[in-house]
Amino acid sequence: MTVSAQKPPALAALQSNRFGQVMKKYLSVIAGFYRGNPTALLGTFIVGGLIIMSLAAPLIAQNEPNKRVARGHQPPSAELFFGSTRSGKDVFSQVLHGGRISLLVAFGAAALTTVIAVLVGISAGYIGGKTDELLMSVTNIVLVFPQLPLLIILAAFLGQVGPLIIAVIIGSTSWAWGARIIRSQTLAIRNKEFIISAEVMGESKARIVLVEILPNLTSIVVGGFVGTSIYALMAEAGLEFLGLGDPTVITWGTMLYWAQSNSAFIVGAWWDMAVPGMAIAIMGGGLALLNMSIDQISNPKLKTGAYIKIWRKQKAQMLARRAQS
Amino acid sequence: MGSSDCEVSFMGFILRRLAFYLAAIFVAISFNFIMPRLMPGNPVDALFASAMGKMPPETLDAYKEMLGFVDGPLWKQYFVYIKSVLTWDLGPTIMLYPVPVTEVLAAKVPWTVGLAGLSTLIAVFIGVIIGTYASYNRGKFVDSFMPTFWAFVGAMPQAVTALFIFFLFALTLRWFPLSYGANPDLDPAFSWTYISSILHHGVLPLVSMVLGGIGAWIFNMRNAMINVLGEDFITMAKAKGLSSRRIMTHYAARNAILPVVTGISMQIGFVMAGAIFIETVFNYPGLGLLMFKSLESRDYPTMQACLLLIVVFVLIANFIADLLYLWLDPRLRN
Amino acid sequence: MNRTDKPLLSIRNVCVDYVTEHGNARAVNEVSFDIYPGETVGLAGESGCGKSTLAFAIANLHEAPALISEGEILFEGRDILTMSSAQLRDFRWNETSMVFQSAMNSLNPVLKISEQIIDVILAHKRVSKQEAWSRAEELLATVGIHASRMNSYPHQLSGGMRQRVVIAIALALRPKLIVMDEPTTALDVVVERDIMDELFELKEKFGFAILFISHDLGLMGEIADRIGIMYAGQLVEMGTAAQILEQPKHPYTRGLVGSFPTIHGPRVRLEGIPGNPLNLLQTPAGCYFQARCSDGIDKCLKHKPQLKPLTNSGDRLVACHVAVDMEVPA
Repeated sequence: MTVSAQKPPALAALQSNRFGQVMKKYLSVIAGFYRGNPTALLGTFIVGGLIIMSLAAPLIAQNEPNKRVARGHQPPSAELFFGSTRSGKDVFSQVLHGGRISLLVAFGAAALTTVIAVLVGISAGYIGGKTDELLMSVTNIVLVFPQLPLLIILAAFLGQVGPLIIAVIIGSTSWAWGARIIRSQTLAIRNKEFIISAEVMGESKARIVLVEILPNLTSIVVGGFVGTSIYALMAEAGLEFLGLGDPTVITWGTMLYWAQSNSAFIVGAWWDMAVPGMAIAIMGGGLALLNMSIDQISNPKLKTGAYIKIWRKQKAQMLARRAQS
Repeated sequence: MGSSDCEVSFMGFILRRLAFYLAAIFVAISFNFIMPRLMPGNPVDALFASAMGKMPPETLDAYKEMLGFVDGPLWKQYFVYIKSVLTWDLGPTIMLYPVPVTEVLAAKVPWTVGLAGLSTLIAVFIGVIIGTYASYNRGKFVDSFMPTFWAFVGAMPQAVTALFIFFLFALTLRWFPLSYGANPDLDPAFSWTYISSILHHGVLPLVSMVLGGIGAWIFNMRNAMINVLGEDFITMAKAKGLSSRRIMTHYAARNAILPVVTGISMQIGFVMAGAIFIETVFNYPGLGLLMFKSLESRDYPTMQACLLLIVVFVLIANFIADLLYLWLDPRLRN
Repeated sequence: MNRTDKPLLSIRNVCVDYVTEHGNARAVNEVSFDIYPGETVGLAGESGCGKSTLAFAIANLHEAPALISEGEILFEGRDILTMSSAQLRDFRWNETSMVFQSAMNSLNPVLKISEQIIDVILAHKRVSKQEAWSRAEELLATVGIHASRMNSYPHQLSGGMRQRVVIAIALALRPKLIVMDEPTTALDVVVERDIMDELFELKEKFGFAILFISHDLGLMGEIADRIGIMYAGQLVEMGTAAQILEQPKHPYTRGLVGSFPTIHGPRVRLEGIPGNPLNLLQTPAGCYFQARCSDGIDKCLKHKPQLKPLTNSGDRLVACHVAVDMEVPA
């Protein structure tokens, strides 16, 4: 019997630890997701990058976002990367600080939406019967309502609402689509034998939902979260652009609002409008890329694997061989 | 399996959808009813705050009464309100007093319906073609570039895209006018001058709407095509030696279009939202601009009427999409 | 007995690879055999042995990630694999047509069946729409479907009727060869019997050759003249139906034949074939069947057995060292 080399104690502990094994499994799943998947890599890079930059705003931006540091509407320069607003504030600093709130609202609203969608979807799909009918009627009506006009009226009635309220009203109105999808997936899983056998064995319903059903819905739920983040980001910006947000709070949306009020484009100060706009577009685009790669997990047909290039090469070789003989 | 069975389920489907849409309209009306009453403070004051000084008191009282702010229990108020709405008696607007709300709405409707409808048709048409093309060229540049590019363009707030187009083509290049639906100096008529003015003014808003929406169609169609192209009947079609054109249209696209039509119902709300921003930027005289203006002047009754009308249009569009789906998918007919 | 007539279809050393990032999986491995005009050849084997892949290769239907990397497929002397797309379109359905396993999946759900029969006629022949229509009605009559069904959609027909429609479409251009990939697997036995009887009649009437692919050896025994057995992409045995079913030489064939119960005869214990199908990305040196074979000798582990004739006539072939060694007289 061979004697194994001495392993460092931490590694040995980790390897013998069940937790360690589970972590390794998750890490390899994540690694598999990213391997050869430029869409996922790019999306994560963009999203992660913007999040980190916003979080590190005080460190990166030299000027306070609300402090007047220059004359109004100065073009981008070495000191002011993105120029200044009408009131002479640093656009670069604003876009970084504003990002924190915009992203917080977007992800917060998405989280709220996801929770509601999961609750409604799984209840409707798993319990079925009258509950299902009731929940689905409500969901369908919410679904068919045009979201933005609804949000506009809500926000108008509430007065000038801060980001928190905006997050709440977005989060409580956007769950219908996700609920539908989760419900149909739950229905599909519900009739599979392992659920029926768990029920027969007497497992509690809560445990079945948590342990058997929920893990199978992971990619849909995560995909739904990402998709809703995009929508929430744009909805928040839209509401604030129309003047429904709190103009004293700096977010990407209120930056757009101020730029529009100060006729930024008309006076030629395009950076005032373009910078927050691009920030939203880049963040939204990165999230969309992530969404596409998550889609590919649920539906592998959508994946354009690396095999296509290898295939083309081999086909060319085969044709060359045929031509010679 | 007689034809009468088909008709029954056909009719049944349509009736069920209509009942659903009716329920949705009632929810919208009820929402309009509840909202002011949920707000802190006296709803009547809040609602009509901006009317003070504009309307003579008797008119204001009549207005309040019509909207259900009468004495009595809540359900009585509700009935009065519903009666007003269904008889299309919505009173005068506040910001444009004394013009009735219904008159203002009626003037705006054709512009928004035209803009939203036409832009959707164009966006769907072009998006479906590009999506089909992308699905046929997997792994090549078109397929990796297109969805990514449009993901970013679609994530740009519609207001910003509209403003950019406005800045470039209207302000700087002066190719297109800055605002309005048609030249305000012209009298509306069926003359070519007026119609061409409409078209001229409509180009930039239309382009902005299409740019905002086309990404979703490309994506939907591409994914739907990829799913369909993996099916066995496509292989059989190829084995039959049919032309690739026939396979692409009659076999692949004809099946892929079904989930795309379902997607229309999802997208309509988004289209209307876009219309609000774009009409605001271009000062285009539609429902979206009206909503924005009534927002600015806190003209709640007009805002609520706008919401109701927008909901009605969304439901009509959904219904059209339902009929379209019914026509396209023979499996629903039995 | 060496055939004097020329083969209709000649498959020579064909290899089909599935390209993956982890390497190529060779689904069809140097398969060669001929089909003569009017004869029915059966191809049997378990799921994943490559028989469907071979069927698709015959009409050059493979798309990425499958690649026909070697070999020739000669139809009346012309190599299908080097045809241009125009020639290929001409060839397809005209000379060779196909019947797939699941009729519901092979028919376009949004087109009426009349359109699906007519479009293949119009794609290949210059006839008017009315002529194509009456031809379609004739074809449906041939398979026992009333002309009133012409305007039906696939979902409105029963499973058996759909399969008959697919067969009617296959006959539309009077091809010389019909490749049938598990045509009755999705049907219940009663319908299966009907379809098989009808196939037999049609074969007698029109004289086309059939490549009948199935995992059901018993069914194949009824309709096939010759049977080939495939395992892990290779053709491991070939002979007349009687020879294969009554005197199987390859251990795999023996296992297959032994797993089919018979209604007549004494009750015997069913024997399965132990082990699992081969992972095509990790093929062993030597014979592919070695892990599951009870007769193996040393040679089997090192040298891959080639398909060799057992008799001088060349029509009884086995790829097995043990079987060949046994046959050769000392």
